[in-house]
Amino acid sequence: MSTDSPGFVGADGRTFRRLLVLLLLVLAVLAFVVVESLRNLDRSIAASDWVNHTHAVISEADAIDANLAAAEGDLRTYLLTGEQRDRDTCQETFSDLAGHVDVAKALTRAAPTQYQQVLQIESLLAQRASLARELLRARAGGPGPTVAGLLAGDAGGAAAHEISRRLLALKDEQNELLAARDTAAYLQAQTTRWTVLTGTGLDILLLVAAAWLIRDDLAARRRAAAALQEANDRLETRVRERTAELAAINAQLVAQNLEDRWSHQALEHQLRYSQLIINSISDLVLVVTKALNISRLNPAVTRLTGLTAADLVDQPLARIVRLTRERGDTAPLRFDPIAQAFADGRDLRSHPAILTDHLGRTTPVRLDAFPLRDRDKVVGGVIILQPAAAPPPG
Amino acid sequence: MKKHILLVDDEAPILEVLESYLTGRGFRVSAVQSAAEARKVVQVDAPQLVITDLQLEAEDGLQLVEQLKILRPTMPVILLTGVLFDPKVVEERLSKKVAAYVSKTTSLKQLLSEVQRLVGPP
Repeated sequence: MSTDSPGFVGADGRTFRRLLVLLLLVLAVLAFVVVESLRNLDRSIAASDWVNHTHAVISEADAIDANLAAAEGDLRTYLLTGEQRDRDTCQETFSDLAGHVDVAKALTRAAPTQYQQVLQIESLLAQRASLARELLRARAGGPGPTVAGLLAGDAGGAAAHEISRRLLALKDEQNELLAARDTAAYLQAQTTRWTVLTGTGLDILLLVAAAWLIRDDLAARRRAAAALQEANDRLETRVRERTAELAAINAQLVAQNLEDRWSHQALEHQLRYSQLIINSISDLVLVVTKALNISRLNPAVTRLTGLTAADLVDQPLARIVRLTRERGDTAPLRFDPIAQAFADGRDLRSHPAILTDHLGRTTPVRLDAFPLRDRDKVVGGVIILQPAAAPPPG
Repeated sequence: MKKHILLVDDEAPILEVLESYLTGRGFRVSAVQSAAEARKVVQVDAPQLVITDLQLEAEDGLQLVEQLKILRPTMPVILLTGVLFDPKVVEERLSKKVAAYVSKTTSLKQLLSEVQRLVGPP
């Protein structure tokens, strides 16, 4: 049986259906055996009744035959003795005979053929009884020719013989039926035996098949459970491994995050500290590009010029600073000393200049210019302005 | 018992990162933002190591180091700072006062190796 989930579910349903079919078959066989057995029992009971009935008919036929012989004998005895006692006995015997005939009629009334036979016998017996009555009447008057005449007309008991023959035929017929019935009963008993044995054997086989199915199903379930447990164990192991991996990765990420934050804070701290240093300087500090455009300035520039970073960044330095010559030297500058110094990669120290504020007011200053080097390349410069000392009076 | 490290820095973000990192590595960490608090901790629950910033709000970090040496002469101190010193200055001046000098631009991993060099594993 498959141990995959869908297959297993299917196998489970299939096994159940098969078991159900086997159970239904067992019940069907059992029901058949019970029904057949009960029917056979009923037939046996009916046969037993019939046998009793048939024996009763045979018994009555025997009784009629015996009674007839006794009645004939009693009649002859009376005819010989003429005694009243013998007459009474004869009459009683004939009366008994009639009684047996009535019983025989009652027993055979349900079987038309037999009933007709009994009626014929009764008719013959009636003739004998009539003759007997005549003989009794005749003898009552004494022995005489009348009695002799009646006896001669009886022709040697042929009628009685006929009655006996018919009774015998009736009995033989009943005996044949009994024999046939015995055979049928035997066959029926055999049939019942084989029905029970076969039904029982079949049921046992079906139950064995059901037991085998159940055993097979249980084995499949155990295998499936073991496979499931194994799969669960593998899954749990994999989950544990993966959890450990994720935990390790997470720890790495946390550590990396902390490192990143640490680096960021260190950098931010450095920048802030550098900015604090520059902002603390009272001199005017401007950072310029190679093209001498202003890129940064310190608060001292704003204090003295009234111009903010928004006003000055990306503006030419010349907007607020103009280089001059030394006092007394009025010749115009032929070149930009700052640009020249940066091009040469050297400092420019204490050069006179004029600072102009936002209102156009000027202030003489001394200018220092330092090239900014990044990996030995001049990328711009730092301009420091100090207010020039006022000349001594006079 | 876990080894105890005292952190001293007036900047809370710095303390937070350091505390998280060292706690994650198995150390017991106390973090304070002033020299006064640091002295209290050293007296009440002496640490195996102090990591202090040079620039504190009310005091100089080196002054704190001097005071800690009086309280706990054998306790090592790491000076942690964003101010970049000349290596010669570090060697000649600072090495006499502190067990180690670590720049804030150094990685946490290197800081940890310095910590473990001075106090061992957690």
